[in-house]
Amino acid sequence: MRRGLIYGLKKFWSEVFSGDLLILFFSIVLAVTSISSVGFLGDRLQSSMQMQASSMLGADLVLRSTSEIDSEFLSTAKTNNLNWAETATFLSMVITEDDNLLTSIKAVTESYPLRGELKIVNFNGIQIQHSGSPPSGKIWIEKKISESLGLNQSDTLSIGNKNFIVEGIIEDYPDRNSSFVGFYPIAIANIVDVEEMGVIQTGSRVVYRKLFSGTQDNLNRFEDSLEAIPANIRLQKAIEVGDNLGEDIANSTTFFNLASLFTIIISVIAAMMAVRRYANRNLLHTSLMKVFGASKSFILGYQIMQLTLMVISASIFGLILGYALQHLLLSTLHGIINLDLPPPSFRPVIIGFTTAAFVVFATAAPYIKILSETEPIRILRNDFSIRLSSNLIIYLVAFITMFGFLGFLFQDIKLILYIVMTLILVTSALYLIGKLLINVLSFIKFSNGTGWKLGLKNIVQRGNDSVLQVIIFGLSLLFLIVLAETRTDLVDSWTETLDEETPNYFLFNIQEYNLKAISDYLEDEAGINPDFTPLIRGRLLSAYRPGSEGVNFDNLMDREANLTWQTDIPRSNTLVDGEWWTNADEVEEVSVDREIAASMNLEIGDELNFSAGGKTFSASVSSFREIEWQSFSPNFFFVLSPAAGRELPNSYITSIKVDDSEKLMNKFITRFPTISAVNLEAIIDQAKSSISSASLAVQYIFLLTLIAGILALIASIYSNRDQRTKETAIMHAIGASRAMIFKSAASEFFILSMLSASTAIIFSTILSSIIFYQFFDLIYTPNLSILALAFFVAISFIFLAGVISIRKSIYASPMITLRDS
Amino acid sequence: MKNLILEVNNITKEVNSPEGLLTIVKDINLTVEQGKPISLVGPSGSGKTTLLAIMAGLDLPTFGTVNLFGSEITNLDEDRRAQIRGQNVGFVFQSFHLMPRLTALDNVMLPLEISGDPFSMEKAQEALEQVGLSKRAKHFATQLSGGEKQRVAIARSIVNKPKILFADEPTGNLDKKSSDSISDLLFSLNEIIQTTLVLVTHDLFLAERCKEVYELSEGQIL
Repeated sequence: MRRGLIYGLKKFWSEVFSGDLLILFFSIVLAVTSISSVGFLGDRLQSSMQMQASSMLGADLVLRSTSEIDSEFLSTAKTNNLNWAETATFLSMVITEDDNLLTSIKAVTESYPLRGELKIVNFNGIQIQHSGSPPSGKIWIEKKISESLGLNQSDTLSIGNKNFIVEGIIEDYPDRNSSFVGFYPIAIANIVDVEEMGVIQTGSRVVYRKLFSGTQDNLNRFEDSLEAIPANIRLQKAIEVGDNLGEDIANSTTFFNLASLFTIIISVIAAMMAVRRYANRNLLHTSLMKVFGASKSFILGYQIMQLTLMVISASIFGLILGYALQHLLLSTLHGIINLDLPPPSFRPVIIGFTTAAFVVFATAAPYIKILSETEPIRILRNDFSIRLSSNLIIYLVAFITMFGFLGFLFQDIKLILYIVMTLILVTSALYLIGKLLINVLSFIKFSNGTGWKLGLKNIVQRGNDSVLQVIIFGLSLLFLIVLAETRTDLVDSWTETLDEETPNYFLFNIQEYNLKAISDYLEDEAGINPDFTPLIRGRLLSAYRPGSEGVNFDNLMDREANLTWQTDIPRSNTLVDGEWWTNADEVEEVSVDREIAASMNLEIGDELNFSAGGKTFSASVSSFREIEWQSFSPNFFFVLSPAAGRELPNSYITSIKVDDSEKLMNKFITRFPTISAVNLEAIIDQAKSSISSASLAVQYIFLLTLIAGILALIASIYSNRDQRTKETAIMHAIGASRAMIFKSAASEFFILSMLSASTAIIFSTILSSIIFYQFFDLIYTPNLSILALAFFVAISFIFLAGVISIRKSIYASPMITLRDS
Repeated sequence: MKNLILEVNNITKEVNSPEGLLTIVKDINLTVEQGKPISLVGPSGSGKTTLLAIMAGLDLPTFGTVNLFGSEITNLDEDRRAQIRGQNVGFVFQSFHLMPRLTALDNVMLPLEISGDPFSMEKAQEALEQVGLSKRAKHFATQLSGGEKQRVAIARSIVNKPKILFADEPTGNLDKKSSDSISDLLFSLNEIIQTTLVLVTHDLFLAERCKEVYELSEGQIL
């Protein structure tokens, strides 16, 4: 074995550059590039999302309540080696000599924030070093406050009974929130000044937070020691927030994984073909070595060394390309991910090497066995071919190993099972079609040997080899077509969410008496007919389940909520459970957002108690809805039936699409000064930029799979090139013209490619519909232009590559070809 | 006393074929003395190559035994037979069987590299010199003529100084001039390196240069 290993080491590079191992080398490089680029990206995104999530909370873990939180939690945190900070947020008037402004006051301890960055600058834009909170008596304000109140550096303002000196401008801060205080500009003060302000009275709306950070182990211990948290305290964890982050790229990540999976499958197909050719061409070498005294262990050592070096060199090459591609993807996704990402872990490197080892040894191990057991007598029989029956067993072993490995790698048994089933189905269909072709062609008499008839005859004569080629062409094309369709539909579905009609303005604070005037105005000025949605400020008080007392509703949303009432289901909502009210004016019912309902442990039929407009009332949960939040239309967690909501005091909101927005909206605000208008264009632009970034990233990954597919097709064509070359030379020698040989090869590749492309297209629609529905929540409609394009490109490619592969032998001297072969 | 290096006893080789059991060679007995070249002649299909393969330990007989350098190789497994071949046996084939992606020198080095000889390159260069091809050492097999290829193959077969050299139709693929030159080379090397030549050939002129000629017909020695 040792001598074999040394011999393999000496011969490796000459083997690679001789071409026999080159296709195998590139197959592995592609598989590793694909899996590692997605791996590096996923790894860094996960760390980034964790960072973003922590930054959103300003901590790793937060206890939040609208009443003061017991300080015993702080001592428990200290015993668990956690850092802590406190904040209290409330609305108050900021008053100057000339003016005042309703402001969200955030009172913080010095240790704030525990995660994320609090960036404060002076009025000259120079960053101020700070310890986390302003000193007592000083305050930091957002620019909007300084602009509205005409404040400058060191000016004085007052909040309640306390005067403050303006020390700096808040440029950035973590734990932004979207609750009632989120609409107002922020001022940050020291928490020790709150009492002196005297603005917090009984019944004041204050959000108290206790922030904690530390190692995950310490956080877990702390959480365990909390036992029962009072119902009014909500626990927020960065890990959970992280789960809800990055939804923009969730689908593209699924696509990356799918593309990566397909690239590996296609690379395995290419590798199988390349290994088959390598093994066939190595039979002579191996037989010779046996004749000259090489033992089985020598051959094993030689082959194992060659393939191990192949794994190492191709992995390194693939990992470098994978890392570079990941950089390209990240720079493309910059609009979505705007944080400096932490470096990746070592995991993608290990996965890269494992993938390479798997691709090589799953496809080559059975051949290594055959080579090591080769009989030296082959050399005298001039028998240097491996029987197809051995190949079929090898392919079966390779596929079973492949799916075992992929199941382990992707941890998605459902996806793997769907693909295995499709693969079995498609392979069987391709096998039957190939056999049928051979049987049909074998009945045709090819008496006069025109070129194209000779090609058909060759298909019959090659028998199982032709069938194998149909299967390999078909499978490679299948995965490419499915991915091409997925890519296009995914990008289309993203683009559709932000079509030309996406509203770019939200109007709220609209009263009943404004409705007609606003409608008329918008109709006259911009031809817009707005849809007004009632907006009720309310609060969910409690819930109970009729007939089942003691059901735990501890996670009930304990804050004010916007409610509405509607006769029909809102446009961007889909009913997922229960029924929409038909007798809307009689029943007091409520429809709840599916996710909120799940978090609050609600079921259809539960009774919810609300208070709104000084009145309490209850409504029965009649349905759950899936809300399309990115629709930029008014959406609500709770929608009441008209009978429940019509009599409650409400204002109205609407979203509109305005073309010449700035000019029109300036006039609108002048005409209706009490109406608040929020410009959504910046957010829409950001979303559009995210979509185009994600789309471009998807293209890059698809390109990788496309290259793997092309490689598999080339590997398949080259797998029996030696035989074709020899046949070409023989035909040449016995007088066949170049044109005839060309026509023969062309008709052969044309028929094989047409059959495999047609079958691949038929089955791609099945696999695509499964993948669309199961993994992207999309309804599949065959994309005829892609299918037609794939059909013609596939046929042209196989045809051209096939003809090019034998072009050299058509023009070479038959004597030289035969002598060299 | 005769110094026998190869003894073939009652060798029969049968194979399965679509037509039923086929006997390739039947009840063959022969011996080879050290330094005394022998040739096997006969028409195509007479079993010459099969007999050569069995004598060299490349194949096993259905019945009978072969004793090579005192070892009954028909009772050994493939690895042990390979070991004996590696140490004592050289081969020359009709189709040359050079590795096309290796240079002439690399091809000649192959048997020595398998046995782990640290001086494989020097010895291979020496062997190429002996066959008159030292200037072609860096040429790939595809860049050589038929006669040159067979010379490289002969250099490869003698590089490990084998005690016995099996040659299967060594001139079968060559023109008259190359054929004569290769024959001369084989017999002169036989003298120089004291190897024993076992030759399978159609060429009666070549066969008659051996001390003993065995003629086969339908698997049997006449």
